[in-house]
Amino acid sequence: MDTMLSTGVRSESNIEVHKYYSGAVPLVCFLALVLQAFLHKYGRFAELVDLPLLVTIYFGVSRRNPVSGMFLGAAIGIAQDALSHDNPIGMYGIAKTCVGYLASSVGARIDTEHPISRFGLIFILFHFHQVVLAVTERVLLAHSMPMFTLRLLLDSFVTAGVGVALFAALDKLRRPQ
Amino acid sequence: MSYTLISRHRPLSLLAALILAQVLLLAFQIKRENNVRLVRYWTVQALTPVERIGTWSFSKVGGVWSGYIGLRNARNENAQLKKDLDDLRMRNRELESEAAEGQRLANLLNFRNAHQEASMLAAEVIGASADPTSHTLFINRGERDHVRRNMAVITPEGIVGKIVEVFPISSQVLLINDKDSGVGALFAATRTHGVVKGSGDPNVRMDYIVNDEKVQAGDKILTSGEDHIFPKDMPIGTVESAKQGNPFQVIWIQPAARLDRLEDVLVLLTQQEFAPKKNEQASAPNAAATAPAATGAATSSSPN
Repeated sequence: MDTMLSTGVRSESNIEVHKYYSGAVPLVCFLALVLQAFLHKYGRFAELVDLPLLVTIYFGVSRRNPVSGMFLGAAIGIAQDALSHDNPIGMYGIAKTCVGYLASSVGARIDTEHPISRFGLIFILFHFHQVVLAVTERVLLAHSMPMFTLRLLLDSFVTAGVGVALFAALDKLRRPQ
Repeated sequence: MSYTLISRHRPLSLLAALILAQVLLLAFQIKRENNVRLVRYWTVQALTPVERIGTWSFSKVGGVWSGYIGLRNARNENAQLKKDLDDLRMRNRELESEAAEGQRLANLLNFRNAHQEASMLAAEVIGASADPTSHTLFINRGERDHVRRNMAVITPEGIVGKIVEVFPISSQVLLINDKDSGVGALFAATRTHGVVKGSGDPNVRMDYIVNDEKVQAGDKILTSGEDHIFPKDMPIGTVESAKQGNPFQVIWIQPAARLDRLEDVLVLLTQQEFAPKKNEQASAPNAAATAPAATGAATSSSPN
């Protein structure tokens, strides 16, 4: 097992499912949404970080259940759509559903406790989230949304960095095993 | 099988269902050009090709049906329709004939009802003479029906002739245009007497009218009753032409009865005078005042 941990890969029999204090998950999600909306008021810096995305990824990889991960992603995404003034309901919902599913599935297979793996995972899922958003916009809204730009690259690095710190903070909400 | 597949890939199935639900949610919100909602746009886009294929298929199938399969029976149907048309034409002729016959019989009945004082017998013409120079015909009444020689044969339009031969169930009628026929006659207007004789032609001739007598085309000729065969004042015909002759005028008369197309006639069983009709009574004084101008009138046909 040590060998597997050192390589960052686990077998499914050794999956560690984390439990959180009751109400922690909805509260964190709510705060992430509120904070995201609140930070938007303070200019461009806030746009660099997608807090709801980070929360989706975090609880997805921690609970390691694809079903709950996708539902949590869907709920957060739809709430994010609802808070935006011009997004049709479901745009972020679809993207975060996919991210929640993928994060849960990946969290069951690789080590997500290490900061570097967390950074990489957030970085990849950020772009995956962006690709799903772009495809959805192109297909449904007929808008040409870019899948990759330097700005997005910068955003992904910032979000991944913030995510590593946020994940460490959120680890404190875990119930002791 | 599909249930097992879904159970095995439950998370993936749920993911697909969740994404589909949100796509539908989006489709209900998003409006494309012309302000059409995406869900309607998709539905129309999805259904239009199917409808087009369906319409195309139906039109092709309908074209094949109407252009080939439907025409397979067209020839038979056409033949049947022609046959039906012929039958209907035949039936139409029958009905027209029956209507004409009904009209003739109605005329006979009216005439008979109008002259109930005279004993009459309706008869049907069943044949004619084989001799083209002889103007005779046969009727379906004979001795059994109490028909006798020299009985008058008439129609409501005018006189026809007289019975010359009687057989048990039929009789022979000598028409007034036969060359052996003669009828006592008079002008309706002047009451001038004469004799109408057959000539063998369709028209008859009126003899014994002096040249001084003023005769013109269209004058009505009636029976005088002096031949003791035809009742008095029955229509014989109208003057067609009149010209001076030696010693009498040559007057041609067109018979009132249509002698060439007789089908139903009346046989007068007695030589009974017809009661004058109301409108005839008004012109009666003229007749009484007019003296006979002809001699030798009131003859019947030459004795057979």
